[in-house]
Amino acid sequence: MKMIYKVSVERCIACGKCELACAFAHGSEGRPSKTRINIHRRGPELGTPIVCFQCDDAACVTVCPTQALVRNEETGAIDMIRSRCISCRMCVAACPFGNMLWDEVYNCVQKCDLCGGEPRCVPFCPTGAIAWVPIEEAVLPPKPLDRETLDVTP
Amino acid sequence: MPTLTVNGRKVTVGDDVYILEACRAVGVEVPTLCNFNGLEPWGGCRLCVVDMSLAKWDDDWFKLVTACNHPVEEGMTVLTASERVLATRRVVLDLLLARCPETPLIQQLARDLGIEETSYELNPEPTDCILCGLCTRVCDHIGVSAIASTDRGWGREIAPPFNEPPPDCIGCLACAEICPTDHIKFSTSNVARTIWGKDFEMLRDPMTGEAVITKAQAEHFARRSGVPKTYFETSDKSKRLEVAKTFEKLQVIK
Repeated sequence: MKMIYKVSVERCIACGKCELACAFAHGSEGRPSKTRINIHRRGPELGTPIVCFQCDDAACVTVCPTQALVRNEETGAIDMIRSRCISCRMCVAACPFGNMLWDEVYNCVQKCDLCGGEPRCVPFCPTGAIAWVPIEEAVLPPKPLDRETLDVTP
Repeated sequence: MPTLTVNGRKVTVGDDVYILEACRAVGVEVPTLCNFNGLEPWGGCRLCVVDMSLAKWDDDWFKLVTACNHPVEEGMTVLTASERVLATRRVVLDLLLARCPETPLIQQLARDLGIEETSYELNPEPTDCILCGLCTRVCDHIGVSAIASTDRGWGREIAPPFNEPPPDCIGCLACAEICPTDHIKFSTSNVARTIWGKDFEMLRDPMTGEAVITKAQAEHFARRSGVPKTYFETSDKSKRLEVAKTFEKLQVIK
């Protein structure tokens, strides 16, 4: 079954668990500043999770001079092949959505790779704002979040 | 899909694969200095030499080849740690150690093969450059070709034309980042960048003032890849802000 990463921005409560899960899952020494999913916080319990869209015609893939960014047919993600990266930072500048993140400690780009088909951020999302769903289900409009009945205790 | 034997272990690899990749597929580490996955193999450092024998050859007949740019063939036998291979690598590292006696990477590789001190005469002017050619090759690959190896023999070095600030350089730092010994020096900040004696103006985000690339770099890559130049003008942070703004009207609090 073909799965897809679905983000329902109206359900996000800006708890930041996905950011932490991502930072811990990807070996950037668990630094939350180096997460690949970023929540733009607009107020208390109100944010927009911004994560790589895995564009079909991606600007990062087009500018990469060494073909270090390639589409993974299995997961549908664009993977960064570390051994091919020459650290020219062109993808960071080219991404129109700001989802290529520069890591100055490892001197390479941090990019969402959907954790190889099992995104680690998804099980931590308390409201289902981010989900890993079959592609047929992804087109259904999400139900609005009832913030009164929400229980976010871990 | 050719099948070959590496150190007695059978492995099946893709058709257009070089020996080095096949060695790595079975977990055999072959030292190399000038090989980089994103670039064409070059065979310049001669450190990745291995003993190779084809199926049609006599059993005890082996030939020394560079693993990085020798394509695999069906029935090939590869030995990566025979006495002859190790002796060849020792000579290469001995010479490199004479050239770069103070480079930690070369010292480490030499120590791995049991060389503590070079048996040749030391280079009177120690350098970190091992002339692996990675910097010039990556510069060619990007389509800039601002630097090249100049002179011959003892005087050979990597330099811009006439040892002046290179007119073609776009300041992308790819040469400095790829250098295995960190020989190429540069300085960079959100305002300016200097490499090879040339100063560059950074392409700064109008809002946050952050910059990751130079103006010349943005122009070159916009021309080369066809990605609109406007994509490069804002930083990732303000781009995310823009994306968040487009989604704002979707977010209604119940």
